[in-house]
Parts: sequence; C-alpha cells; structure tokens
Amino acid sequence: MNLLTIPLRCARRKWPRFVLLTLVFALGATSMVALWHVSRVVGDSLERKLTAFGANILVSPKAETLAVSYGGVSLGNLLYEVRHLDEAATVSAIRSIPLSANVAAVAPKLVGTAALGAEQVPVVGVRFDQEQTIKKYWRIKGLFPTRENEVVLGSALAARLGLDFGSAFRLGDEEVTVAGVLSPTGGDDDTVVLADLTLAQRLFRLPGKVNFVEVSALCAGCPIEDIVAQIGGKLPGLEVKALRSVVEGRMASVHFVQHLTLAVALVILVSACAVVGFSMLSAVNERKAEIGLLRSLGYSRAGVFAIFCSEAVLLGAAAGAIGALAGWGVGREVVRLLDAAGEVLPAFSPLEALAVCLGMALVAALAAAYPAAKAARIDPSAALVSL
Amino acid sequence: MLEARNIAKSYASAEGPAPVLRDVSLTLEQGEFLAIVGRSGSGKSTLLNILSTLLAPDAGQVLYAGRDVTRLPEAELAALRRRDFAVVFQMHHLLPYLTALENVLLPFMTGLAPAPRDAVERARRCLDRVGLGGKHHRLPGRLSGGEQQRVAIARALVKEAAILFADEPTGSLDPATGREIVGLLQDLNADGLSVVMVTHDLGYASCARRVLRMENGAPACAA
Ligand SMILES: Nc1ncnc2c1ncn2[C@@H]1O[C@H](COP(=O)(O)OP(=O)(O)OP(=O)(O)O)[C@@H](O)[C@H]1O
Ligand SMILES: [Mg+2]
Repeated sequence: MNLLTIPLRCARRKWPRFVLLTLVFALGATSMVALWHVSRVVGDSLERKLTAFGANILVSPKAETLAVSYGGVSLGNLLYEVRHLDEAATVSAIRSIPLSANVAAVAPKLVGTAALGAEQVPVVGVRFDQEQTIKKYWRIKGLFPTRENEVVLGSALAARLGLDFGSAFRLGDEEVTVAGVLSPTGGDDDTVVLADLTLAQRLFRLPGKVNFVEVSALCAGCPIEDIVAQIGGKLPGLEVKALRSVVEGRMASVHFVQHLTLAVALVILVSACAVVGFSMLSAVNERKAEIGLLRSLGYSRAGVFAIFCSEAVLLGAAAGAIGALAGWGVGREVVRLLDAAGEVLPAFSPLEALAVCLGMALVAALAAAYPAAKAARIDPSAALVSL
Repeated sequence: MLEARNIAKSYASAEGPAPVLRDVSLTLEQGEFLAIVGRSGSGKSTLLNILSTLLAPDAGQVLYAGRDVTRLPEAELAALRRRDFAVVFQMHHLLPYLTALENVLLPFMTGLAPAPRDAVERARRCLDRVGLGGKHHRLPGRLSGGEQQRVAIARALVKEAAILFADEPTGSLDPATGREIVGLLQDLNADGLSVVMVTHDLGYASCARRVLRMENGAPACAA
C-alpha cells in the first residue's frame, strides 16, 4: 500500500468511468496506429508505383575535363577520356550497401553505334529485367527478348527502317531478330536499338563494361542523400548523383499522403486528450473534499498531483496497449481491403507496441497535467465541505 | 503545548467582511481534554480549523512546539499534519473506495514507499481497539455511521499524533453511539493523547476536563 494504491482503488471502484475513458483514448491510439501502418504501406506502394517514372540515382565515371587554351584563345573544355565501368563490380557494390532493401532496380547501360546495313544506328545495351522495373510505362508490340541475340526497336527507328517484330537483320558482326517494337514513349528510347547488354558488350568489344548505371531507390523511409552517400562510399572515384527533380516530384506525393495521415492522427489524438483532460477536470471538482481530506492528513501538493497523474498514466498505458494491438489489426484489414501492398501486410512488433504504450501514457499524463495541478492547489480546508 | 494568541478571522460576505472570531486566545496543556461549546454559528468550527492548520487566521498566532504554525512553509505544514496533528470531522471523512484498513493507513501512504509493516500491524490493533475487529476489509459504504466514525478515530490514533482535533464527532450519531465515541476519546485521552473537541451537547462536554464556551466569536467563560 502506497500512494499509487489510491488511484488504483479509485479506478477499480469507478470502473465504468475508467473503462469508458480508456476506450476513448484507446480509440485515438487505435486510429493513430492503424493510420500509421496504412500510411507506411501505402507510402511504400505509392512510391513503388511512382518508380515507374524512372531512375533517381545515376552512377557514372567521373568526367575528366580539361580547359584548354592556347595563346589566350580558349579552345573550350575537352572531354579527354571516356572511361568505362566494370559491370559486375559496380552492380554488386550497389546491391551491397546497408540500405540495399531500398534499392528497387539497378540498370547498367552501354551506349554506342553499330552498322545496320548502310547506316550507323544507336545501340543501347541494357538488362531487360532491370530496365522494365524502372520503365513500367513501356508498352511493347511483340515480346521482350528472352535470348541474347534478340533486340527491341524504338518506334521511330522501326518505322524509318521499315522493320517489325520478327524481322531479322545484321547488326555490326551479329545476326539479330526483332523480338518486339516499343510503343512511342516520347523519349530517347524511340530512336535506338535496345539490345541485351551482353550482346552490346560483344558488339562494341567491351566485355563486362558499361558506361553508366541507373539506380531506382525507394525513399519513403530514408532520404536519398543517405543512399547516394552509401553508394559513393562503396564506389570511390565514381560520380554518384541524385536526380533531384525525379526524387522531389516522387517524394512530394508520398509526403502528401504521410502528412495527411499525420494531420488526421493528430486531430484524433488532440480530441482524445481533450476528453481525458475535461473528464479529469470534472473528477477533480467532484473530489475536492476528498483531496482536502488527503491534504489535511498531510499529503503534499506533489503527492496529490502524482495521484491524479498516475491515474492518467495508467489509463494511457492501458489505452496504448489496446491501441497498439487493435491498430495493427485494423491497419492490416484496411491494407488488405485496399489491396495496396500485395503480400506485404504490416507486421506486429512488440517493441513498437511498447513504444505506443509509453507514448500514450506520456500523452495522457500531459492531458492530465492541468487538472492534476488544479487538484494540487486545493487547500486542506476543502475537506470541511462534507463529502 | 498548543497556544493560540489573539486569533481573528472574518469571512467575506455581501456586506463586507463578517467577523467570526475576534481576539481569541487559549492554551492547551499536554494530555488535556478541551471541549469547545457554543451556539450554532458562534465560530467553534472556525476556531478548531485554525488550531489544526486547516484554515489560516487573518491575525494572531498559533504556537506549537515553540513555532508559529500559521507561518510554516508548505512542506513543514504537511509534515505537521502528517505526524503531530490528527483531525476527526463531523461527517466521518473516509475515502469511499478504500477499505477500513486502507483508510486507517492513509497517513502512511503519502509516498511511493509502501506502508511499513509495523504501521499495518498498528492499524489493525487500532481498528480492533475502536471495536471494528473483523471489519477491516469493509468499504465505508458497508459500515454504519458510528462504525465509519470509529474508522476515522482509528486513523487519528494510528499515527500516534500529539493532538486530536474533533469537530462534532458525535454530530451524525444517535445518543448512545455518540456516548460510546466520546467514551473512546476519553480512554485515548487517559492514555496521554491531547484532545480538542467541538460539541454543542453539554452532556458530552461534561466529559471534558475543561470547557471553553464561545459566544459571538469570543470565549465567554472557561469552566
Ligand atoms: N467558508 C465560509 N464562508 C463564509 N462564512 C462562513 C464560512 N464558514 C463559516 N462561516 C460563517 O462563520 C460563522 C461561524 O461558523 P462556524 O462554522 O465556525 O460556526 P459553528 O460554531 O461551528 O456552528 P455549528 O455549531 O453550526 O457548526 C457562521 O456565521 C458561518 O455562517
Ligand atoms: Mg461547526
């Protein structure tokens, strides 16, 4: 038996009030936790969908330029060397950063020209599986290549050359067939031959080499700068830069969803706090004589404050426990209904639940702080009013 | 051991301050049983509450152990109320959600440290002494008025206070029960507890060793 016996017994005796308040608070906690789970999953999946609009990190050799002037006449900047990257080393380095779970696609590329009949055409060597992850907007007439010597043609190039899927021709030293023709994209892909990277490396006699690597990173959970820094750390001597406009456009949508959720959650929480605060205030007014009695028995102001705060802490922790569990369940159901995440349903984490409990206890204590302070100011003479 | 000097108190009313006590002085010796009597509205409760530090006087001093308790800092005042002074009200003030035993132990539950084992033992003995053996775990709502008043007296007893202040402890009880309560107070007084009791029943007052009669906010005569 100590100071805390008083709020505990009071809560037990007036359990309907306590249960009701706990439920109100638990409702707030539940909706917050549920919204949080949903927004995390929706933010993730929204970003995955937005990833369709391109890569956001570019890894390339450092371009060494030399400003050349002679006799005071500037000859401009000379790009004096084109260096190539080693495909296997670069890709595996990018895949092995600590934040590799956020790397959605790594798309290496080798660019050059090759003879097609009488003319030279631009050829881009790509890994088709990675490329398709980045360019979800690609629509193809025919199929994507399944064999090394199959290529995809850009729509404008195919029209100019009068080729269609199924056509076979000689590209440089290689015999290739057209597996498919891209629908117009409005971008660079319309005017090139897209070949398997291995074929392109053979064609340009650069086995295992690439010009640059495009990376698509998911940034819902962490800033892109972190990912860029980690890739840079793994690949010193290379240029790693974030394609900022892509990231910002993408993150603006994700952040909007997250901010909206946060705002709704805050409104719910503040309302729950108001309910608890007002109910505490009326309890303090009802129990003035009781508080006066405690004070006349020698309870300090701090003791009275603690009695009311601990009741709120108890309530908040109980509501937090309910909210963590119910919020997870509700969030899971909502995600399932929205079908937003595919298979990834939010997982229950005991640590998160504990954090929710502590957080709600703290919030409840804050909500009760004013009523408790008011209780602490009550004089012993309040006991003289009969209970 | 307790001395009041020139106590004055007035309450604010619609027609300005209404004086209730003017220039009241009295002394209480160690082990004394003082009864304060007087007509309703004569200021008995007000005086008692000032002596027990529940009310602050407008003027004057209340000296206990050589110190003016009306000017004590908050923390020392709380310690005084916790240790030295005990109060029993007319309406047996008990917390309705605590058992009889827990109500008696309230003075030992002011902090996070649990009530000491010997205090719990003493609380049981105090309840037995006031005739509540076997009802330690009842809630106040399931005790009679007289029994509740006994719990309140046991609560005053358990901390082995120096002075017990009682404001019409018999007020809500039938005469027979009232006599038992006053008899209990007499027993305790015989064991060395100083008692100040307000009553308007002269029959009970005659049990006291000294009677102070209040009239219009001042002591009329001391018998
Ligand atoms: N809190 C208060 N505010 C204003 N006036 C008060 C207050 N308490 C008491 N009074 C007035 O002070 C006077 C004395 O009151 P007090 O309670 O001391 O009388 P009492 O002698 O105890 O009376 P009773 O025998 O009826 O209990 C009364 O006229 C009462 O109306
Ligand atoms: Mg009175």
